[in-house]
Amino acid sequence: MVGTIIQAVINGLLIGGIYALVSIGVTLIFGVVKIVNFAQGEFVMIGMYISFFLSTQLGIDPIVSLVVTMPVLFVVGVLVQHFLIRRVLGPNDMPQIFLTFALSLLLLNLSLMLFTANYRTVHTWYSDEAFHFAGLYVPYAKLIAFVVAMALSGCLWVFLRTTDLGKAMRAASQNRDVASLMGINPDRVFAVAFGLALALAGAAGSLLMPFQSAYPFVGQVFVLMAFIAVVLGTLGNVIGALVASLLMGIAESLGIQFVGADSGLLVVFVMFLLTLVFKPNGLGGGKAR
Amino acid sequence: MRWVIGLIAAVAVLIALPLVVESAFAIDICIRILLFSFIGVAWNLMGGYAKQLSLGHAAYFGLGAYTSTILQINYDISPWIGMVAGGCVAMLASLPIGWLCFRLRGPYFTIATIATAQALMLIFLKFRDFAWGAEGTTIPNLGNAPLMMQFEEKAGYYYVVLGLLALALAINYKIEKSWMGYYLVAIGEDEDAAEAVGINAPRIKRDIYLISSFLTALAGTFYVQYIYFIDPATAFSFNVSIEAALVSIVGGIGTLWGPVIGTVLLETTSALLQSWLGSGIGGIQLTIYSLILMAVILWRPTGIMGYFYELAARRRARLVKA
Repeated sequence: MVGTIIQAVINGLLIGGIYALVSIGVTLIFGVVKIVNFAQGEFVMIGMYISFFLSTQLGIDPIVSLVVTMPVLFVVGVLVQHFLIRRVLGPNDMPQIFLTFALSLLLLNLSLMLFTANYRTVHTWYSDEAFHFAGLYVPYAKLIAFVVAMALSGCLWVFLRTTDLGKAMRAASQNRDVASLMGINPDRVFAVAFGLALALAGAAGSLLMPFQSAYPFVGQVFVLMAFIAVVLGTLGNVIGALVASLLMGIAESLGIQFVGADSGLLVVFVMFLLTLVFKPNGLGGGKAR
Repeated sequence: MRWVIGLIAAVAVLIALPLVVESAFAIDICIRILLFSFIGVAWNLMGGYAKQLSLGHAAYFGLGAYTSTILQINYDISPWIGMVAGGCVAMLASLPIGWLCFRLRGPYFTIATIATAQALMLIFLKFRDFAWGAEGTTIPNLGNAPLMMQFEEKAGYYYVVLGLLALALAINYKIEKSWMGYYLVAIGEDEDAAEAVGINAPRIKRDIYLISSFLTALAGTFYVQYIYFIDPATAFSFNVSIEAALVSIVGGIGTLWGPVIGTVLLETTSALLQSWLGSGIGGIQLTIYSLILMAVILWRPTGIMGYFYELAARRRARLVKA
């Protein structure tokens, strides 16, 4: 019994690392640019397809293909911010919501047309290997994904704390007008924030590829988790999103273990609704950092 | 007086349409247009006037569909009664859902509505004893039974949904001209400012959510009666939530005729695409829809109706000058 619980917690924690990459991206965009990117999940999907094709066409290992997906999606993010998002920034949130939502629909259905709904799987030498320890079972692919995800999150945190650009980003997220009076170019900061967030989504895609099939709807699962994690972790708070993602991974995994294989998401929804009832400002108490 | 004559003429044409048009395919498209206009008008009451941008109206569509089907199959109650019952169930459900979701604003309200609709779908998938689980069920075909909302000719369905749309437009017109309409627009413009001038925003939002969910549930009952089949993926389809919002935004958010015009444009486009390319290519319809949506948001955020108003204003200005 205790072993089962620990195993479920480990499974949840490992997948929670991937949720964290997606939700940190969402919260970064929300904190800095002040919009919610409904298309974040589709960029995870694009990351997966890039890794898939690099792996099947050129034989590049999906995790190594991070070095391609991250820069590619960074550039995509800068372009999306510059040509689309920038035009709808302002007090009215209707165009912002529906622009990113339309982008999500577009990317999803374009990939449905281009790649069909078939599941694409990459099989690596470590896909079926696992690490056995005191009766517990830790698949290598998920362990690697978790470690890399945590490392990337750590890098982002250090970047936001220590570099000038990171500080400018946090300044712009606290007060856009004052930040621009201090000589910070908001367009540049927003573009970098959007690019970084999409690069994280791309990384999540590459890391998922060894143990998760790519298909056009794959992003939807992750983005819903990410949105909930971002609300739980207080909007715009990077550490909050990280912790909430790990908790949600664990909750989902316990749900699968004890309520039924199809109930993981239901448990997460119940958690979300409970949070809305008792802590509508997020578990952290409401401060965005 | 001119618009009254226009309206009467339009109604006459709409009533005569199934008598003239023979093709079942064409009538089917007309039914889809009327149905999604109806859902769009229901969405627009809350999403358009009060700018509470829900993407979870499938929750009420599904509840309406399931209530009438359960009543019909298990208790032999006519879907006409089931339809109203479904509307009432939806209204009851909208109270706790609204209570939860209205705690959030803007995009996070939208996300919470998506989550509630998805959660309802999961519940109906999971509890198979109560409502057939994932397989769903077919609705017994009784032949021509108008009392059970079943018709041999598609024209029967056409008149039902035409009546629904007329009802929704009448309600919308009444609300638009009442204090409630002004309160809704005030909340949509700036909720804090609306509260500051004494509008009880939570109450108004709750009331409009009740009306909007009631109407959406009627559409759900109609739809399953029309296609003779129900399962959680159909009844709580995210596409219903999307289309409800999409037709309103493309047509003109917060206007009486916006959802109707938006639906005519989008559904005709999709029907043309289908007859031109065949339905073989998955995703093409929503690809086109999303491109239209992006174009409208970037270049004409007030929708097609907004464009008409602008033209009318320009014409009036020219007349005044002359």
